[in-house]
Amino acid sequence: MIDRSAEFRFKRSLGLTMMLVLLAFAALPTVWVLILSIREQSAIFEPIWESPLAVTLDNFFKITRSDFPKALMNSFITAGMSTILAMLVGVPAGFALAKSRVSGKFIASWILLLLRMAPPVGFVIPLFLLYVNAGLIDTYTGLIFAYMTLTLPLIVWSMWNSFSQVPDELIEAAIMDGASLSKAFLLIALPAARPGAVAAAILGFLVAWNDFFYALIITRSSTSTAPVAVMNFISYDSVDWASIAVASIALTLPILPLMAIANRYIVQSLSGAVKG
Amino acid sequence: MASDSKKSPGATFELERGYRRMIIPAIIAVAVFAIVPLAGMLALSFSDYHLIRGSNGEIGFRNFIKIVNDKRLINSVYVMAVLSLFGVAAQVIIGTAVAVGLQKIVGKWRLGRVLFLVPYAVPHVAVALIWLSLFTPTLSPVNAFFDVFGITVPSFLTSQNGALFAIILADTWTNFPFTMLIILAALQGISPDLDEAAALDGATRVKTFLYVTVPLLLPALLMVTLFRFIDSLKHFPMIYVMTKGGPGRSTQATNYYAYVQTFQNSNVAYGAAVAVLLFLMAALISFYVAKLNQRVAS
Repeated sequence: MIDRSAEFRFKRSLGLTMMLVLLAFAALPTVWVLILSIREQSAIFEPIWESPLAVTLDNFFKITRSDFPKALMNSFITAGMSTILAMLVGVPAGFALAKSRVSGKFIASWILLLLRMAPPVGFVIPLFLLYVNAGLIDTYTGLIFAYMTLTLPLIVWSMWNSFSQVPDELIEAAIMDGASLSKAFLLIALPAARPGAVAAAILGFLVAWNDFFYALIITRSSTSTAPVAVMNFISYDSVDWASIAVASIALTLPILPLMAIANRYIVQSLSGAVKG
Repeated sequence: MASDSKKSPGATFELERGYRRMIIPAIIAVAVFAIVPLAGMLALSFSDYHLIRGSNGEIGFRNFIKIVNDKRLINSVYVMAVLSLFGVAAQVIIGTAVAVGLQKIVGKWRLGRVLFLVPYAVPHVAVALIWLSLFTPTLSPVNAFFDVFGITVPSFLTSQNGALFAIILADTWTNFPFTMLIILAALQGISPDLDEAAALDGATRVKTFLYVTVPLLLPALLMVTLFRFIDSLKHFPMIYVMTKGGPGRSTQATNYYAYVQTFQNSNVAYGAAVAVLLFLMAALISFYVAKLNQRVAS
C-alpha cells in the first residue's frame, strides 16, 4: 500500500513537472516580449542580468509618434466593417440553413469549409489584378471586400451550428401563433442564439485582425493594417526591436478579452463533430 | 390569420420561401467574394499572363506541365510536408498533453487555462517576430544565457534544418492551444463514471487513459489534426518574416512559392496554377471533413 502511494506521488510530481515545462514553453516568449518592450534602446543587446535596471517607457511613447497607431486604426476599421457586413448577411443565412428543409445542405457545408480552408494565395492573385484595374488597391473598400472571403464562411458556419442548437419547437410555436418568419427569427431564434452570435462576430473579427497576407498584397501605405505596418520597424540596416515588441503587444492586447469571451465557442464553431 | 392554416402545405411552402430569401444574400455574397476570385484563379492558371509582359492570349495546360517538371515546386512540396507533419504532430501531442494535464493533474485551474491560451491570441506576424528575436543570436536571451556557460548556441536561421525547426517551433507555440481547447472540451464530455468503472475493474490510471479515454478522444483528435493540417498548408507569415524562404530554398513551402512566383517573379499564370494545386488539396480534405461532420450530425 505504501509502495503504491509513493509510486502514485512520484507519477504525480512527474506530471506536474511536465506541466511546468510546458507552461514555461507557453509563457516565456510572452515574458520576453514584455521585457523587450521596456528595455532601454541602448541596453537592448545586453544580457538582461547585466543591466536589469535599464528600464524605460520611452518605447511606448515613441511608437505613438510613428505610423503604427494609424495602422491599428486601419485594422479596427477593416476587420470591424467586414465582420459587421458578414454578420448582416451570414446570420440570417445560418438560421435558414439550420431550420429550413432546403436541399443541398451538404454541398453548402462543403463550400463553407472549403472557403475557410482554401489557400488565400488563390483568392489574392485574381483580386489583385481586379483591384489594380478597378482602382481598389490601398482602399478600405478593397480590403473589407477581401476580408469578406475570410469572415463570411466562418460566420455562416458558426451561426448554422448555433441555430441548430435552438429547438425547432420554439420557432414552430412562434409561427403557429401567427408570427412571421422574420419575427420568429428576430424575436425568438436570435435571442436564443445570442452567445453563439457574439462568438461568431468575435471569431470573424479575429481572422480579419490576424490577416497579414491580404493586407501585404492589396494595401500600400495609407490603408496598411497593423500586421503589415510592424514590418516597417525592420529596415535594411537595422531592426527596431523595442518598437517591434511594443507593436506585438498592441496587436495582441485587443484580442485577449475577445479570446476570453469566445474560447469556449471556438470549439463549437469548428465543427459539429467536436461538440464533446 | 387562422393558426390552422399554417399547417397546410401552402404555408410550409411559404415558410420555405422565406428561408430561401434569407439564404440568397449569403449565396450572392459568397459568389461575389469567393467564387468569382476562385474562377479567376482557375482561368489565370490556364493562361500565360505575366504581370509585366501581359498575355499573348495563349491558353492551355502549359503551366500544369511545368508544375510536374519544376524542381523548385517539388522542393516546396517537400518543405510543406516537413512543416506540416512535424508541426501538426507537435501541436497535437503538446496540446493533448496540456489538456490532459489540466484536466487530470492540475484540476480546475482557470488561470492555467488562460496562461496556456495566450500564445493562441498573438497574431501570427507578432508570433513570427517574437521567435525571430529569440533566434537572433545577438539579441536572444537564450544565446546570452548559454554564453555564460561558454556554450555558443548555433544560429538556427542560417542552417537548413535549423530554419525549418525554428518555423515549426513558432507554429507549434501559437497553435498548440487550439488542440488544447478542443481536447479539453472533448475530455469534459467524457463521463467520469467510465474512469471509475475502469478503476473498479482494477485498471491502472495509465491503462484507463489508454484504453478508455484515448478511444473516446479519437474523433476530436482526428478533427483537430485535419484542421491543423489544412491550416499548415497555408503557412505564410512565419516564412515571410523569419526566413523569406531561405536559407536557399530550404523553407520555401508551396504557398510561399506561389507568392514568390506571382508577386516577385511576376509569373501570375504559373503562380495561379500552383495555387490551384493547393486548392485541390484543400477541396479533397474539406470534402472529407464535411462528410465526417455530416455523419456526426445525423
